[in-house]
Amino acid sequence: MKKILAILASVILLTACEKEINIDLNNADPKIVIEGAVSNAAGPYYVRVSKTVNFSAGNEVSPITGAIVSISDNLGNTETLIEASPGLYATNSTTGVPGRTYNLSVSAEGEVYIASSTMPLQVALDSLIFLPFLGPGGVNVYVTIPMFTDPQDFGNNYRFILTVNNVTDDSYIIANDNSTNGAANRRPIFSPYALIESADSVQVEMRCLDRASYDYFYTLSQIAGNGPGGGTTPSNPPNNISGNALGIFSAYTTQTKKQQVP
Amino acid sequence: MLKIKLLFTALFFLLHAGIALAQQKYTLSGTISDAENGETMIGATISVKDLSGVGSACNEYGYYAITLEEGKYTIVVNYISYSTQEQVIELNKNIVMDFKLSPDTKISVEVIVSAEQEDDNLRNTEIGVEKIDIKEVEKLPVIFGEKDILKTIQLLPGVKSAGEGNSGFFVRGGSADQNLIILDEAPVYNASHLLGFFSTFNSDALKDVTIIKGNPPAQYGGRLSSVLDVKMKEGNNQKYNVTGGIGLISSRLSIEGPIQKDKSSFIVSGRRTYADIFLKATEDFKDNKLYFYDLNAKANYRINEKNRIFISGYFGKDVLGLGDDFKTDWGNATATLRWNNIVSPKLFSNTSLLFSNYDFNIKISGNVNDFNINSNIKDWNLKQEFSHFINESNTLKYGFNIIHHQITPTRFEGTISSSDKKSRYSLENSAFVNNTMRLNKRLNLDYGLRFSMYNILGGNTYNIFENSIKTDSILLANGAFGKSFYNIEPRFQFSYLINKSSSIKGGYARNTQHLHLLSNSTSSTPSDQWIGNSYNIKPEIADQVSLGYFKNFKENNYQLSVETYYKNLQNQVDYINGADIITSPDLESELLYGKGRAYGLELLLKKTKGKLTGWLGYTLSRTERKIDGINYNNWYVARQDRTHDLSLVAMYQLTKRWSLSGIFVYNTGNAVTFPSGKYNIEGNTVFYYTERNGYRMPAYHRMDLGATYSRPHKKKYESSWNFSLYNVYGRENAYTITFEDDPNDPSRTRVIQTALFRWVPSVTYNFKF
Repeated sequence: MKKILAILASVILLTACEKEINIDLNNADPKIVIEGAVSNAAGPYYVRVSKTVNFSAGNEVSPITGAIVSISDNLGNTETLIEASPGLYATNSTTGVPGRTYNLSVSAEGEVYIASSTMPLQVALDSLIFLPFLGPGGVNVYVTIPMFTDPQDFGNNYRFILTVNNVTDDSYIIANDNSTNGAANRRPIFSPYALIESADSVQVEMRCLDRASYDYFYTLSQIAGNGPGGGTTPSNPPNNISGNALGIFSAYTTQTKKQQVP
Repeated sequence: MLKIKLLFTALFFLLHAGIALAQQKYTLSGTISDAENGETMIGATISVKDLSGVGSACNEYGYYAITLEEGKYTIVVNYISYSTQEQVIELNKNIVMDFKLSPDTKISVEVIVSAEQEDDNLRNTEIGVEKIDIKEVEKLPVIFGEKDILKTIQLLPGVKSAGEGNSGFFVRGGSADQNLIILDEAPVYNASHLLGFFSTFNSDALKDVTIIKGNPPAQYGGRLSSVLDVKMKEGNNQKYNVTGGIGLISSRLSIEGPIQKDKSSFIVSGRRTYADIFLKATEDFKDNKLYFYDLNAKANYRINEKNRIFISGYFGKDVLGLGDDFKTDWGNATATLRWNNIVSPKLFSNTSLLFSNYDFNIKISGNVNDFNINSNIKDWNLKQEFSHFINESNTLKYGFNIIHHQITPTRFEGTISSSDKKSRYSLENSAFVNNTMRLNKRLNLDYGLRFSMYNILGGNTYNIFENSIKTDSILLANGAFGKSFYNIEPRFQFSYLINKSSSIKGGYARNTQHLHLLSNSTSSTPSDQWIGNSYNIKPEIADQVSLGYFKNFKENNYQLSVETYYKNLQNQVDYINGADIITSPDLESELLYGKGRAYGLELLLKKTKGKLTGWLGYTLSRTERKIDGINYNNWYVARQDRTHDLSLVAMYQLTKRWSLSGIFVYNTGNAVTFPSGKYNIEGNTVFYYTERNGYRMPAYHRMDLGATYSRPHKKKYESSWNFSLYNVYGRENAYTITFEDDPNDPSRTRVIQTALFRWVPSVTYNFKF
């Protein structure tokens, strides 16, 4: 909604002009960032441990090396990860099984951080449907409807990753069953940065997430919606890692469908 | 309850104390109106020449009453920029006498300049109150040539714009929803069109606009920061008039005239934008819709000397659409039925029945399904107010107000959605008493009490949350009463005349607010939604103390006021970080609560007479919030905090035909949250924030110029051309500042500033016949 309003606002405001500026931003003390994931796809699974950098620095990740990272599950399986490359820790034996709860422990720079995430049961993605939609400029574009049926139990969360003609869109597209519990999905997914036209090849990855991961990516999607209509006041997304570390530890199921638009 | 009763009893005793001593007295009463069009004059003053310092002012219906001992008096009637009238009367019985004043300019006979009216700004107890002269608004340059009272009030100290070209405003550190905006007494829930760029008020249909910045008399209540009281014209009861204007963005037309001369009249006024016509002309956007319209209508009928009824209505709607697939519209409708009754010469009664409706809809149509998001507020409102002109030094107002609210929250719904959306019902009632008292020649007092109640009504389920986790749930059956809130709001103001040209004024007011606007956005969008008090949300409370020094000099040509205020806010509501406002089953799980404070100094220097008129306003202020769960529970400056805010407004009558105008504004940038670092998640850059609103947008400044050419009258046909240039020196004021990966160089991030308007010229043709 916000995006559509923003697009409309920019239609009105044809006079708007953009330019790159310099702002003197404060430097903050580097903070630890932990990004970990376990899925039902085959491993290895990775945990990246890094530090924040100042805004003016380059986009290269500032890794934390030599951390002790372990993942265990609620059946008692446990594993210490191996540092595959600086700051990137990989599993060897852990298997991702829907319904299990995974615990992450990271010991780095004298602090221990822990997180826990339960992999939801997988909801089957049946197929993709494409609907024509009259986009800005009168061009026919398509929205994609991932066809799946939400389970009767309340509290399912989804994330979709859209790839159009082999280019993966980096918008955060997420959904839950708050207002559509137990129903067959009819909600389209759409990214203004990945417009779909006739004969395009579209791939959708559907992930089933737990609530903490949903909140995390939902908040990121809200902050990203900053435009002429005004966005939400930005904040660090809430997460499931102790010790005020940034990032997220997420156990999710994944499945992919790829189809061509007629 | 007993306590409240006692308070009211004590107050009544206080008020009536002086009355028992009265001798044989009679009352002079009536209405004061404009001789040309019959519009009643709010605030016109009536004074007794023989008795210095004795007088009265018309109420909002143009009614006055003054009670004096038997005798012969010279009565002087005054209204700014109207010729003064004098009348000798023999008061030996109650007399009803109506006055009709003519505008100053057309009277060649000697104009008696009365100090009584001109230094009224020193004597009345009003502090933090400004009246907008609608005629003045017409002359000021404005963006798109669309004259707009909401943009004019933003040029006053203590009132801040919500953003570039935006009609939203903040008063003394309050948020946008803390302004009570009433049109003929009916609350307007969303006073803006087209994402805030236009206000819902068509100034052709307006008669009087007053803003009260936090110290309202007791008859007003329900919002913390201000009251913007907008009154529609009654319509000319002398002759038919057609006025209109053709602009680049919109056109407007008003028709007014008598139904029965002197007795009844009507006015109908409409406005529509036609940006969509330009869209049609473009290949790319021809299927898009983008417009708004307004319709104001009012009629009044004088049944007899003692009874008069008014019917007024407003209807406005915005429509935005993308082809057939996406449509969003929102709008307000208000209706007011009023009955003025002169119970006795001293007692004036007004009864109003009001209806107000605010709707917001988004509709997305597809081949297989429809989705819609909508919300709605519906109010029924009964208001009874008495103006009791007790004696020459006391005017008492008392009454009550009953409002029934029906609020339907914003929820996502679709053909297949299993939404359990239900409306919430509540009652907001209040009773008030207020006395305006002239204690002696120097000291005027205004004091009162407002008692406000809010009852949650049944028909819905209410959840109780602690730290966003549901701990309990209450099912209220239809017809049942749920939680109730009671608040006492004392109000007090005084003015003390130091000498003939200066005075001190002070005031204290408590205001409570039972309806809250939830907004997760940094600017006002139609998806912002209202919510009433609940089992989680308590009434917001503000206590404000103001003190001011007022001085007139050069024979009242210049007026200076210096006001300071301190405001303490309780029970403020905000969203948690990352609140899900569209789909969460209960929005109340997404809320946080806290407090606020605001203080500042406001300077206003006005030149009211001569070829050059205008004002210079300056505000030095600070506004802070402390909300549990935001900014590590520490105090932070609110977004609308602006340390310095300056506006200079000038109008110059160059020749008989040409008048020029200019505006210059400067203010400190908004407090905003910028990143202090960055990191990487899934290969994307994510920003790291350390404190809420720790940065400032760049300072905002702009100059606008305007010129109006009045063409010579042709018979009855008058017309004028209005030219304006917005942002004369083309400053690129930052509207948003965003942070993103550089699309041309993924190894770095960049900062992008978006500016909205540079040089917006406009021309409007206005006519009247």
